[in-house]
Amino acid sequence: MKVGIPRGLLYYKYKPFFTTFFEELGAEIIESPDTNKEILDLGVKLCTDEACLPIKVFHGHVEKIKDKCDLILVPRIMQVEKREFICPKFCGIPEMIENNIKDLPQITKAPIYSYSADKFLNWAYETGKLFTKSYIKIQRAFDYAIKEQNMFKEGIDDEGFQYKVALIGHTYNIYDKFINMNLVKKLNNFGIGVITHEVVDDNVKHMEVKKLFKRPFWTFAREYYGFASYAVRNQLIDGIIYLSSFACGIDSVIVELLKLEFEDIPFLLLKIDEHTGEAGFDTRVEAFVDMLTRRKGGNLA
Amino acid sequence: MKVTFPHMGNVYIGAKFLMDGLGIDYVIPPFNSKRALEIGSLYSPEEICLPFKIMMGNYIESIERGADTIILTGSCGPCRFGEYAELQMKILKKLGKNLDFVVLDLPSDIGFDELKRRINKISSQSPKPKKEKYMALVNAYRIIGLIDALEAKAHDRAGYELNKGECKGLLNECKKKLLETNDPKEAISILKEYHKKMDEVKISREKKPVRVAIIGEIYTIIEPFSNLYIEDKLMEMGVSIKRTLSPSWWVYNTVILSPFGLTAKKIRDAAKEYLPLGVGGHGQECVGEAVLSSEEGFDGAIQIFPLGCMPEIVSKSILPSISRDKNFPILSLVVDEMTGEAGYQTRIEAFIDLLERRRRYVLSRN
Ligand code: SF4
Ligand code: SF4
Repeated sequence: MKVGIPRGLLYYKYKPFFTTFFEELGAEIIESPDTNKEILDLGVKLCTDEACLPIKVFHGHVEKIKDKCDLILVPRIMQVEKREFICPKFCGIPEMIENNIKDLPQITKAPIYSYSADKFLNWAYETGKLFTKSYIKIQRAFDYAIKEQNMFKEGIDDEGFQYKVALIGHTYNIYDKFINMNLVKKLNNFGIGVITHEVVDDNVKHMEVKKLFKRPFWTFAREYYGFASYAVRNQLIDGIIYLSSFACGIDSVIVELLKLEFEDIPFLLLKIDEHTGEAGFDTRVEAFVDMLTRRKGGNLA
Repeated sequence: MKVTFPHMGNVYIGAKFLMDGLGIDYVIPPFNSKRALEIGSLYSPEEICLPFKIMMGNYIESIERGADTIILTGSCGPCRFGEYAELQMKILKKLGKNLDFVVLDLPSDIGFDELKRRINKISSQSPKPKKEKYMALVNAYRIIGLIDALEAKAHDRAGYELNKGECKGLLNECKKKLLETNDPKEAISILKEYHKKMDEVKISREKKPVRVAIIGEIYTIIEPFSNLYIEDKLMEMGVSIKRTLSPSWWVYNTVILSPFGLTAKKIRDAAKEYLPLGVGGHGQECVGEAVLSSEEGFDGAIQIFPLGCMPEIVSKSILPSISRDKNFPILSLVVDEMTGEAGYQTRIEAFIDLLERRRRYVLSRN
């Protein structure tokens, strides 16, 4: 069986798990190419207007490979942590895909609750059933896949740069070089190193968010806020760059929380959508870099 | 202590009489207006959803009138509403407003003790004995139920009325009268009186008006200002309307039924085929209601949601399929602070036209 894996949304985070799982079950994996103009345009055309860019891009990836596979992975990730949520759109992504894209092969629809192996296994059984009748085989594929995933080193922590910024945003914005117009490389070229939230331990983030009035119920909010708070307190960074997409409901809240909390830290919000031009984007990054260097220079003098 | 609360449809009526019953001083924010929206938007994150902005406007206008405590219901669903309080508190604090926020979250999220502590913050200000406090709550719940039911009745009957505008007129008259009293008991008798009046409105069942269901994001369908008074517009066009979601629906389903996992059971069951799992907010309800209203013989449905609303973007993707499968027209309207009256009105009129034409077509075929 040929299984299509679209390179969109949390692909960048869970790639090892999904590829291993399906390979172990004997599938041939067909990954969509890195995001490109064609995929973006397809996504924009097919998806509901009001959706955010990452959801549109995901649509593009599915469309691109749908004719080549028998099954497409459309991960409905409901929760990755107990009592926390991801994003409403993740909960409904299979339905969005199904209703927006015609002539689809089968897609995976079972919900994923990955905060405990038990719960996560339900997804594996539900999906693995399509490949084999043997629970044991599925269980084994699942175990392997988890092992691979655990070995996956996530995050960026540049060293040897004069300046360092916390780069915050959803993995599919930060690691999709087409979408973010190679932001990390651009920063590096300016002599700016980057650190991302995965580098900081989860427990630390849990601790950091305790000072909020309310326990954040979004995993993203806890991770980003916790990370920023930790990085600022320990003076790991000279500034924060938040890479967001227009129409991201989650970001609209997190960005505001960060801005209200860390007023004294240079903060750049970069928002992308299908209309973002590279020139304007670069200008904003440059201006921010300028400001950072002047600021630090000033402090030293 | 002078409490206030954000507007959301008839909520102010229930809240007013609750405070009256408790003997606690309160400010009803001025009715939603352009000004409230403008001030609210000024102090809100640009890309936050519309309800947040209007609510901020409510707070600020109430603070101008002396309010010092804001009561807000929370939720820890996967949607932004649950994060509203945290942000709003911080923003108001930064503006130098010294305020108390009492956030009534569900006990499943914060625990009974915490909820009790928060409620106590308010109820300890009440000079009334315990039994009266309890009665205040019971009466307020009744009042909100009665006004919502009266509204639903008006919306339904407006399509059949013989004297145009009568239902709408009665409804508004009743709301005005309610504001003139501070006695919950009197409020209840006013409401009963108007229920009777509404029942007596002369109607003709022969009329066969176009019937439309209003579905979508709860705030924007309940709070008339945010949807540019769509229900008034439809009533004027002689359309009969059904809207299931209302403040009393919310209280009943969220507070009373949720511990049993029965929230909106019928609606959610109806959604299953198209959207088996909840997506936060009332996205699944929106889908379920589209299905139900098509089965209940409505001519069409109008979905309303604020720009950027996450759950409703999911349901909006699904509605076209329901529309196709059930041969049931659905119009999606997105509202935000820039929504222009003219274009909006035109779209609604065109949709109602379409429904009327379909009617005639079907009739002429039979
Ligand atoms: S988290 Fe934001 S960017 Fe990601 S899918 Fe949800 S709304 Fe879109
Ligand atoms: S349901 Fe929509 S309007 Fe309500 S908080 Fe969520 S995104 Fe905002």
